[in-house]
Amino acid sequence: MLFFSTEKLGISLSKDCFDIIKYNLWLQGTCEELNMGGLEDAGGTKSGNPTITSVMVVIAMEAEALPSVETLKLVEDDQSSVFPKGAPWKKYSGKMDSGLVVHIVVPGKDKILGVDSVGTVPSSLLTYAAGVALQPDLIINAGTAGAFQAKGATIGDVYIATEFAHHDRRIPIPVFDKYGIGTMEAIPMDALIKDLKLKHGKLSTGNSLDMTVQDEEHIKANDATVKDMEGAAVAYVADLLAIPMISLKAVTDIVDGTKPTVEEFLENMSTAASALSRTVPLVLEYVFGRTVSELHYG
Amino acid sequence: MAGSDDVVAEKGGERASDVIKTVMVVIAMQAEALPLVETLQLVEDEQATIFPKGAPWKKYSGDLDALNVHVVIPGKDKSLGVDSVGTVPASLLTYAAGVALQPDLIINAGTAGGFQAKGANIGDVYIATEFANHDRRIPIPVFDKYGVGTMEAIPAGKLIKDLKLKEGKLSTGNSLDMTLQDEEHIKANDATVKDMEGAALAYVADLLAIPLISLKAVTDIVDGNKPTVEEFLENMSMAASALSRTVPLVLKYVSGKSVADLSS
Repeated sequence: MLFFSTEKLGISLSKDCFDIIKYNLWLQGTCEELNMGGLEDAGGTKSGNPTITSVMVVIAMEAEALPSVETLKLVEDDQSSVFPKGAPWKKYSGKMDSGLVVHIVVPGKDKILGVDSVGTVPSSLLTYAAGVALQPDLIINAGTAGAFQAKGATIGDVYIATEFAHHDRRIPIPVFDKYGIGTMEAIPMDALIKDLKLKHGKLSTGNSLDMTVQDEEHIKANDATVKDMEGAAVAYVADLLAIPMISLKAVTDIVDGTKPTVEEFLENMSTAASALSRTVPLVLEYVFGRTVSELHYG
Repeated sequence: MAGSDDVVAEKGGERASDVIKTVMVVIAMQAEALPLVETLQLVEDEQATIFPKGAPWKKYSGDLDALNVHVVIPGKDKSLGVDSVGTVPASLLTYAAGVALQPDLIINAGTAGGFQAKGANIGDVYIATEFANHDRRIPIPVFDKYGVGTMEAIPAGKLIKDLKLKEGKLSTGNSLDMTLQDEEHIKANDATVKDMEGAALAYVADLLAIPLISLKAVTDIVDGNKPTVEEFLENMSMAASALSRTVPLVLKYVSGKSVADLSS
């Protein structure tokens, strides 16, 4: 990809103009990296500001993942080089028309019980192993979630998480209490959010589908709009690996509504998975060729 | 016994009959680990190239008899400076270090709450005979079992008997306190000891097909009168000392043996 520092060049380009130039150069097969100064050193290390050319999408449930795998025409591949022999983890890979390399990874079915390996531990292990092996420029955690109508959520909405926290890690010792909650800010993405017209809100994570009184207290303290079972853990791993992360959550059930969670969740699972299979490709197209800093204004 | 050999072979994979040469000890808190590191005279691996650059994880290595011993800890949280306790950091560490070091045996050593109704006293060191989670409630058929995630430990009857260790079931959750629902689930798990990492480490060890032993030193009596936090802080260093005596005994015991030799 061609890097411009338009400030250094003393020219002012509109974003559209800039995008057209980048696109045309890509078409011409120009792939020189010109370091013209004024830019953060991308240096091939994640801590720089690399242009996004590969994305790893982490999805906890096969039913959430397969519509996206289909839409993106990804192929399940032999993961023996990437994953340990005994792991039920799966990887689907391919290239979008734009040239973006995409991997969707799922923790797969529990070896003994045959249900999706949901929850923080399997997803964080998967994100770690796949992140280290694939070294993507960006991680996207996509999945379903409960949400609060008091915070404006409706079934079928797809939210970008602006902040992550846990609601079921209570350690009532000073500082450990904060650690348990583990609040983390998402990367700034107001341009992406605005351009794709996405809803956004804080995400609270816990390993249970239900919600006790204490969970509810902590979710409210976290000021969360959406509630899931992996998000904050995947964010923790992404931060550990210094790989930027975006979290997309499709709402299956209204937590502060009248319908029982399990019933609503099962009812709306496939609607939400479809919503993801439309939104994830839009986000992938948007990020391709942009740097992480270009996802926000200013 | 043919039956237990089969289980051992299953649990240890191809490794069950191999002589134990390398042991990796996973400990969540630095205060739990350092007395042991000192006792074994292990040296911190400052380079730790097996860990990602940003991780606060630490590795201490050395030899004991014919064994290579590594003690690994998740280290202090980068933002808040407290030990990275709980299931996610410990399982990531166990995964990364397990893949890199390929030990013949993993030992998870740490402190725990114990139930006096099940015979536990402060200072006891328990071997976990079974692992389960008590804070992963998913009320959908089969998912509910998955959330609990019960796993049997490798049979270690001979080790338990020869070292005169106490044994009981371990229940894991990410909270130091205990809600009514937690208590319900811990009781359903029939647990004697309650900790914050054990079942997750057992899950990772199983994923990597590396046998695992879990040693938990009791700091507080969960079904007693004293508040948990107070008791835990009071007894932490005594329990860490108990570990620094018991872990080397276990290491010496397993050295030169196979996993299969640990059961009767």
